[in-house]
Amino acid sequence: MKHQIFDIENWREIGATLSRNKTRTFLTAFGIFWGTAMLAMLWGGAAGLEGLLRRNFDGMATNMGACFPQRTSMSYRGFNKGMNWQMDDSDITFIRRTCPYIEYSSTMNFGGAVVKYGTRNNAGQVQGVESDFFKIQIPVLFEGRFINESDVAQTRKVAILGKNVAAELMGAEPAVGKYVSVNNIYFLVIGVVGQRGEASIGGRLDNAVIIPSTTMRRAFNYGDKIHFFLYTALHGHSPKEIEPAVWRAVLTHHPLNPADKEAIWFLDVSEQFKMIDNLFIGISLLALFVGMGTLLAGIIGVGNIMWIIVKERTQEIGIRRAIGATPADIITQILSESVVLTTIAGIAGICFATAVLAITDTMTYDPLYGSAHFQLTFKHAITIMTAFLVLGTGAGLIPAIKAMRIKPIEAMNDK
Amino acid sequence: MIIRLKDINKTYPGAVPLHVLKGITLDIDRGELVSIMGASGSGKSTLLNILGILDNYDSGEYYLDGTLIKNLSENRAAELRNRMIGFVFQSFNLISYKNAMENVALPLFYQGVSRRKRNAMAMEQLERMGLADRARHLPSEMSGGQKQRVAIARALITRPSIILADEPTGALDSKTSGDVMQVLRNLNSEGMTIVIVTHDPGVGAQTGRIIRITDGLITQ
Repeated sequence: MKHQIFDIENWREIGATLSRNKTRTFLTAFGIFWGTAMLAMLWGGAAGLEGLLRRNFDGMATNMGACFPQRTSMSYRGFNKGMNWQMDDSDITFIRRTCPYIEYSSTMNFGGAVVKYGTRNNAGQVQGVESDFFKIQIPVLFEGRFINESDVAQTRKVAILGKNVAAELMGAEPAVGKYVSVNNIYFLVIGVVGQRGEASIGGRLDNAVIIPSTTMRRAFNYGDKIHFFLYTALHGHSPKEIEPAVWRAVLTHHPLNPADKEAIWFLDVSEQFKMIDNLFIGISLLALFVGMGTLLAGIIGVGNIMWIIVKERTQEIGIRRAIGATPADIITQILSESVVLTTIAGIAGICFATAVLAITDTMTYDPLYGSAHFQLTFKHAITIMTAFLVLGTGAGLIPAIKAMRIKPIEAMNDK
Repeated sequence: MIIRLKDINKTYPGAVPLHVLKGITLDIDRGELVSIMGASGSGKSTLLNILGILDNYDSGEYYLDGTLIKNLSENRAAELRNRMIGFVFQSFNLISYKNAMENVALPLFYQGVSRRKRNAMAMEQLERMGLADRARHLPSEMSGGQKQRVAIARALITRPSIILADEPTGALDSKTSGDVMQVLRNLNSEGMTIVIVTHDPGVGAQTGRIIRITDGLITQ
């Protein structure tokens, strides 16, 4: 029984052939190295890029929707077009009662605010929200707590400061437990928050003062008016499905032309996310396309080099066959060379790519968001190696089989 | 009878088909030292290739040590070459990056003999050729005569039925030619069947029988 693979002679032969022309071996190995490295970096890089872009939307529910009234564009029942109107509590109650798809929802009111603490003051924005607001737009809580249902129900004069506001007023001191004046009304600070991503509804949280919606309306005289209504759809539903319920509610309570689609503005974040998802599919496809190109180039390199090696060794192959090597012996020998070359260079390439990805990952690391996942999964690494091995071996097989077509006696006389 | 050829015909196809062997009938006994002589183009190399199972023939029958050699698969041909035939070539045909011992041991590698055992056997053959001190030398570090003796050692290592030598002295000067011929004659006296193809009458004169080929036919 033959067991060439375990024969040290076989390995020494592989080493001898590969080291006989060092430049050529190096260039081929580099081709494979670069191919695997590029493929691995593209793959891991696409994942990392996605992670980086996703950070912009971090903290925002992906199935969020919002609406707010705009000036009408059609006249209706004696009301002129161009009329201003506002949503109010009756609309919200109606929506919440009739629409089954809402998971979380919150009203929102905005106002300008001068916030004072001691001698320092800050001009910014005050937002009145309900407790579910923090489930729709999830902020980072630096100190204290969020506004809860009791705060809203009992119209408590409590406030959450955006981190920039807190820094400006209190510096490094803890803000929770202190009283700040918002438009000359005193509020107890219960928390400090920061915004996660880049995207937000109604101004950055970092620069805002957030108070319970009921307190906001009572203290600053908004009555039952609502500026903004935010909601998330239940799992399996899209914010789009909530829009008809909103529209029905406002038509019931306000003199709006049912055909006037401009009277209310709807936002559906899931649409934006779909766009982003498409973008990532595009990036992945591009990475795949470019990766296939490098893969192909690497394989052609291996095939080419195997072709030259076989050509150069035609005489030797002839001698071996004359003294009793079977075609299988010869093909095994040639293939093991390309397998060894591909394996070593491929592993080196993947190691290199992993190092590059690790450096990128460290550089883009953010204490708030964590890693952007510039990483190559083990599965992907194995896939790349397998592809290179299979195709590289295949590329070596063609010249090896061609070499078998030459008769030993002709091969021996080849110079 | 170790070699029995019956009406062997061989034609090389082409635009003008070349009928090289036109019915060769030949018997060689065990223990003979035979030379095949002829001008270039006479068909003697083709005959040697057929004897060595390196080429096939169109019609006729060839028995080697009782085995019919006809329409063999590549694998079977390789196996028979390995076990039954030892080749000695004009240009030595040693593998340049292997030392003498590894070259001699190579046929056993293809039989699956373990490295330790085949190297020991190779050393034995090299000692027989008086080359034990050259075992670790590469072919490029040896003289022509030494290289040819390494090649003979390689031919002997599988204990073949016959040794086929194609112009074994063609690349050697007259003194080393004499040495190599002496080696072959010594082997023959030990009972080995040897067939030498040559166009050198001096070599032919040292063999027991001369077979002359002219235009694809045995003339004597």
